Amino acid sequence: MSIIEIKELTKYYYIGRNKKIVGLENVSFSVEEGEIYGILGPNGSGKTTCLKLMLGILYPTSGEINILGKNQFDIEMKKNVGFLPENPYYYDYLTGPELLKFYGKLYDIQEKILNERIEKLLYLVKLHEAKKLALKHYSKGMLERIGVAASLINDPKILILDEPTTGLDPIGCIETRDLLLQLKNQGKTILLSSHFLSEVERVCDRIAIFHRGYLLATGTLRELIEKYNAQGLEDLFVKTINDFDKKGDR
Amino acid sequence: MKKAWIIGLNTFKESLRRKTLYILLVIALIVIGASKAFSFLTAEEELKMIKDVSFSGIEFFGALIAIFMSLYAISNEIEKRTIYTLFSKPITRQNFFIGKFIGVVLILTLNFILMCLFFIGLLIFKKSPPDIQVSKALFLIFIELILIGAITLTVATFASDAFNIIFSFFLYIVGHLTSYGNQLIDRTENLILKGLGKILYSVVPNYENFNIRDKVVVGIEVSRNYIFKIGIYWLLYLVIVILIGSYFIQKREV
Repeated sequence: MSIIEIKELTKYYYIGRNKKIVGLENVSFSVEEGEIYGILGPNGSGKTTCLKLMLGILYPTSGEINILGKNQFDIEMKKNVGFLPENPYYYDYLTGPELLKFYGKLYDIQEKILNERIEKLLYLVKLHEAKKLALKHYSKGMLERIGVAASLINDPKILILDEPTTGLDPIGCIETRDLLLQLKNQGKTILLSSHFLSEVERVCDRIAIFHRGYLLATGTLRELIEKYNAQGLEDLFVKTINDFDKKGDR
Repeated sequence: MKKAWIIGLNTFKESLRRKTLYILLVIALIVIGASKAFSFLTAEEELKMIKDVSFSGIEFFGALIAIFMSLYAISNEIEKRTIYTLFSKPITRQNFFIGKFIGVVLILTLNFILMCLFFIGLLIFKKSPPDIQVSKALFLIFIELILIGAITLTVATFASDAFNIIFSFFLYIVGHLTSYGNQLIDRTENLILKGLGKILYSVVPNYENFNIRDKVVVGIEVSRNYIFKIGIYWLLYLVIVILIGSYFIQKREV
């Protein structure tokens, strides 16, 4: 069953009156319940634009977004979605538990349940020993981890992660990957964007390749490798992008 | 409203960390304190001087605090990209805007109370505790500061920081000169200019409406009826400004 459906989604950015930049062009895909769906693409390919549109942060030029049967602005839908932005910035004067409490309160979570959840999440992301540390003293990896915890504060059905391993060291990347698989086993649906091919290859059930705002290919890795006669994900990635660029040149 | 309050409290805590706030507050307190330096005046003149300088200091530095704190309240969320996470939460953009407004009101209230306490302390020291007229003048200054903050907050929903600062200061100055402007408009014979002037006079907030300090300093009583009328004017203006801000934050792409 599709839990996320994107239909003919288009986003143009306008510079002045006449110049139009394509953020996304006629993109359609769906994400099934319980799967990890990876959006791959080089920088500026439209991955973040797509995620921002899905969360109602940006307005689409045209197209439809359906998440849990609701549109992207629906408050009830948002109660079931967790989001980790790329290079997360938070209120750096807060401590980890304070940040989680602030976000938790926005979900109307009961105080007792919220406190218990904060404890659990701090252990999950291994920040329980940094409880009293203000976020401004956090390392990049710690910020990424508190971001993951913040995205899970509402125990969401759907998790949307924008470049969750950017800036993490190899151990941090492995831990994040394990966490994603653990969350998948708990029944959560995960949509992540990344330009790290190996990360996507290891955790994603299906992938989508974006380039210059276009969705070039989507499916399981095996399906796509067969379809494009590629040697692996890296080869597939390069082939689809080069093919697209060649067509554009013509 | 609960979510707006949560965002408001967070904005308040964040504002408390701004160095600008403390610099302005300290300067304001120094200015208010300096009014006591006119010891060569007679006791009565000195008291007038304390009231005059203090009212002006509270109003002027309060306006600076209102403008800067309101500006930071929204632009900081956008600049630091914390707004992405906030907008992904189950809140409406109106919740966000009202929350920011609540935060600004809280920080203005705290600063206003501190400045007033200092001023009242000076009056008590001079054995002239504040009377109801002083309270009326302070009340009007306070609601004026809230309006200044709300306008800057609203402009922050659609304009750049640089434009907002210039606009807010311009409006602050023009808002205090509207009565003079109106007299000029009345003398103008050019109908187009007169029409444009009248429109501008109606749109620009008349901050002089909130200024009863000259009367209070010289002991002229200001009626409750006047305070009530200005209160209604303020409320109407505030509601319109907040509605405009809510509209623009709804449209804004971040």
